Amino acid sequence: MLIEAQAVAKRYGRDWVLRDLDFQLAKHEAVALVGPNGVGKTTLLRVLAGLVRPTQGSIKLVGRVGFLANPPAFHRHFSGAENLHYALRLDGRADDRAEIDRALKQVGLPHDKPVLSYSSGMKKRLAMARLRLQNPDIWLLDEPEAALDVQGRGLLEDLVNFARASGGVVIATHDKSWLSLVDRVVELRAT
Amino acid sequence: MRHLFHPGSLRRPFTFCTQTDSLSPVQRIFWLAWRDLVLEFRGRTGILSAVFFLAVMLFILAMAFGPNPQDLQKAAPGVLWVALAFAGSLLAGRAFGLEVEDGTLDDLLLTPGSREWIYFGKLLFQFSLLILVGLVLLLLTAGLFYLPLQNWAWFVVVLLLGSLGYAAISTFYAGMLARLRGREVLLPLLLFPLVIPVVLAAVRFTQGLAQGIPVAELSDWLRLLAVFDVIYVTVCAMVFPYMLEG
Repeated sequence: MLIEAQAVAKRYGRDWVLRDLDFQLAKHEAVALVGPNGVGKTTLLRVLAGLVRPTQGSIKLVGRVGFLANPPAFHRHFSGAENLHYALRLDGRADDRAEIDRALKQVGLPHDKPVLSYSSGMKKRLAMARLRLQNPDIWLLDEPEAALDVQGRGLLEDLVNFARASGGVVIATHDKSWLSLVDRVVELRAT
Repeated sequence: MRHLFHPGSLRRPFTFCTQTDSLSPVQRIFWLAWRDLVLEFRGRTGILSAVFFLAVMLFILAMAFGPNPQDLQKAAPGVLWVALAFAGSLLAGRAFGLEVEDGTLDDLLLTPGSREWIYFGKLLFQFSLLILVGLVLLLLTAGLFYLPLQNWAWFVVVLLLGSLGYAAISTFYAGMLARLRGREVLLPLLLFPLVIPVVLAAVRFTQGLAQGIPVAELSDWLRLLAVFDVIYVTVCAMVFPYMLEG
């Protein structure tokens, strides 16, 4: 198993967002998290990513986590290539400019344009390129389809297939068309 | 690799695969500081506002204490360190302000390895900014307040040690408050009480230098500064990873 979460709960103040939740992700598995707004999909992904400490429960992870946030964040004064360059450096990896160029070309983004001038869809594409370069074992995607055009959704489909092949992927989504691409659907209900 | 997390324990719940790592933690610390410096100089808001604030403050104080050179020289050490402390409080939020403005703090937290290196990277960035501003300040104080810089190397030493202690605390609090609203107000309130020993020791050493007292007689103040630096950096680095937990 890549993820084994048992009896996970998260409370913000007096409000329980997650309660007594068990979740597993096997290697080469793609799981969709579905449910209405506010049910805790994003919170669960953030807990699994280690960005939020759960109030209760235990989590076992095997391998490195990659997280595609919605909306994704980048340094706006840097170009797309610079953002990828520093992301790799801070990951502890040596710089590979050819690899960065290739990744940008794959998602159809310019090399030197500052992120300040990017649209939401372009930022999402850049986030996909970053995740592809980081190549984590566990891929956590929060509403990855948001702001993407038809071509972008094709790229995302490729990314999900790649993620499944290289590790495991969890997708929080409202888009029913993704359900045919995953192995399992987990529906969260309000507590 | 496996790692079990129990709530309430201080251990981090997650470990990361490090097979692709090829840079040492020290290199990553330098890369983080370098990236932040590049971002800061591209944005220019923090450094420019601090330098402008300093220039105005020194000019007003020089008008208030002057024009007698003896009076100005007497006030110079206090003015130097109080001005640096105020400029430092303006710059203190920059270490994590860059991440907060762009919403990239989560990406930093997702990078592999334990989070102490983030503290050291941000500390190096903050320290570099303070040194840059401190050098400008030293020259302005020498020009406006007749601060004698014959012992310039010792002025640089006390600037380095004082800035390190200040940056150690300000980086820690900036990280702790990064996700909070009203952090700009809270940061100086938390920061100033803890930097008093650093500022006091630095003022006394600088005062002695300005009066021409031999460095050997002032070395206790320098030692005190060094001890505070070691304590602050060590404690802050140890506690910092838990401050970032959501």
